[in-house]
Amino acid sequence: MIIRMAKVEIVGPKQDLLSTLDLLHNRGIFQPDPHLLERVDLAPEDRLQALVLDEEGLRERSFFQHLYERVTALLELLPETTNGISPLQPLPVMDLLAELVNQHLAKAREQTRLLADCRQEAEELQRDMVFWQALAPLLSELPNNSNLELFGITIRDLTQLQALEELLQERTLGRCHVSSTTTTDGTLVGLIATDREIAANLRKALADERVPELPLPDDLADLPLPERIAALQNKVATQAAGCRQVEAELLELARRWRPIYRRAEAWLEERLTLYRATATAYTTQLCFIIEGWMAEAEVDQLLTDLSRAFAGRVVLEQQVILEEDLDQVPVMLRNPGYFAPFEIFSRLLPLPKYSSYDPTPLIGLFFPVMFGMILGDIGYGVILLIIALLLARCCTPHRLASDVGKVLGAASLYTILFGFLYGELFGNLGETWLGLHPLWFNRGKDILPMAAFAITVGVVHILLGITLGAVADLRRHQPRKALLKLAMLTTVLLLVLALVGWFYPQSWLNTGPLLIGVGILMPVLIAAEGLLAPLELLKTMGNIISYIRIMAIGFSSVLLAVVANRLGGMTGDVMLGILVAGILHAFNLLLGVFAPTVHTLRLHYVEFFSKFLDLGGRRFEPWHKRNP
Amino acid sequence: MEKVWIAFAAALAVGLPAIATAWAQSRIGAAGAGTLAEKPELSGAIIILVAIPETMVILGFVVAAMILLML
Repeated sequence: MIIRMAKVEIVGPKQDLLSTLDLLHNRGIFQPDPHLLERVDLAPEDRLQALVLDEEGLRERSFFQHLYERVTALLELLPETTNGISPLQPLPVMDLLAELVNQHLAKAREQTRLLADCRQEAEELQRDMVFWQALAPLLSELPNNSNLELFGITIRDLTQLQALEELLQERTLGRCHVSSTTTTDGTLVGLIATDREIAANLRKALADERVPELPLPDDLADLPLPERIAALQNKVATQAAGCRQVEAELLELARRWRPIYRRAEAWLEERLTLYRATATAYTTQLCFIIEGWMAEAEVDQLLTDLSRAFAGRVVLEQQVILEEDLDQVPVMLRNPGYFAPFEIFSRLLPLPKYSSYDPTPLIGLFFPVMFGMILGDIGYGVILLIIALLLARCCTPHRLASDVGKVLGAASLYTILFGFLYGELFGNLGETWLGLHPLWFNRGKDILPMAAFAITVGVVHILLGITLGAVADLRRHQPRKALLKLAMLTTVLLLVLALVGWFYPQSWLNTGPLLIGVGILMPVLIAAEGLLAPLELLKTMGNIISYIRIMAIGFSSVLLAVVANRLGGMTGDVMLGILVAGILHAFNLLLGVFAPTVHTLRLHYVEFFSKFLDLGGRRFEPWHKRNP
Repeated sequence: MEKVWIAFAAALAVGLPAIATAWAQSRIGAAGAGTLAEKPELSGAIIILVAIPETMVILGFVVAAMILLML
């Protein structure tokens, strides 16, 4: 249901503004609305103006803003720790923190840069290691000749290797040797050995062919190849140790200071939010005024809190919600136990306006009943009840699944109830095996009674919708609209009764006077609403006829269940029959959950709610602390 | 022969609205898929929108059932 809201005005001396805003933030129950102040009527000398911070206020705000930016930047650089947040009150040490944060930020930036360089270098060395380790076995195949120049290369694929080998043999007149292998990460690498005097030619050929030579740090380049690998391993180990040391220093900095800076960040964030919130306050020469919305039930408590905190200097007054305010009142929905899970359906719609209705209780009342009317089978109902209980019990931490379970539970109970009324247990299986008979009517045969029942449900539902619409108009102080809705309701009722009298003549139901009544009301409606009135009447009749889907979808479900049983029976084998019928019943059950859900919701959203629901409300979003 | 005409009438009663519904649902479904790409939170509303044209085939089905079972 829609919680009753109160329009409140809070007034106090200007010097108490920030403290008042802080209290309102802490309580988290007040939503400011500066537009309301446009209508406040004051003497000319007390003219309201938007709050402008004085020089000291501006300086303070700028200081906090700058500090906040530096603290945030520092926290982004410091690694996460398990220390949480410090209980320290930052305000008394804010000046000290402002000095320290510069030093810590500079240190953290330097260490982060060092760490990044160190990691990059370690990564490159590690990559080189992989290549050179893969090439090591190839070295043993070469003769121990000091006149040899060795090249390590990476090769795209075997085709490139073959082409490269041919090219190098040609350029060096056969004075080179190419061998290849694959590294642990799957890269193809090669080792080229050649005489020192033609090494330059070979290097040029590699560059021309864009074959990357394996890089090696300058200080290792002059070492003989077998020693290079050992030197490379030492260098990787040294680099890793360097990285660990920088990491440890950064972690130590984070361990000592991160909890304190996190606390400072939260405090600064709140403080800056308060400064921003001052934009919603207006001032006279001496006072501030804040207007806004809150739940009516919370007004007394806030009044007490303000009196206690400011010794009566800051006062709160509840004001009358004017007709022109109605569209501005923010909306808060809260539903008691049974209805709360049905909010999963009402959340699909935009928020209703304050003067309208919360659709949740209506969905909670009618959805399970209509679902049961459509599915109406004891067997299916029991299966759904078991699934619902499992969902509601096992998925308690997952709110959506738990809510779906609760909704399905209510719907399955009505499915079982209507299953008894229709005499259905897995279609006609109950009748065949257990002699189950319908308590009301047989949906598989009594087409017309079922259609009449579905249409009757539609008439009741739509007339209820029109009645609720008339009540909402009265609440909005629009009696003319309410009267027109009641006239429409009467016309629809007379027309429906006339149709009933036409198809099922009764001695007490004379269609003549009913049609005369319609004939009298129609000109009234046309005079009031123009040519839209007959169209609205047609639309309403169409809405009512749309409820025939309750019968149609139910009927198709029964037929599918009967077909499943017949096919199962035709197999001639008990196990196979159970399997075939089981698969078809499972399919029917799946459809039987999806179709009634979608169509029942559609009947609500399109047919029922269009008669009274006024959507487009503003969500109630009170100020609250992000870091309580 | 009369049975053939009854069956043909029932088939038409449900077949034509089924084609119309399919066409409408294809258009709504395509638009709905586009909408969902930008606003996944509208999935519930899209399902309902896709279900709206089903009224045609449902009424066709009812008429067909009445033709078959009552004539």
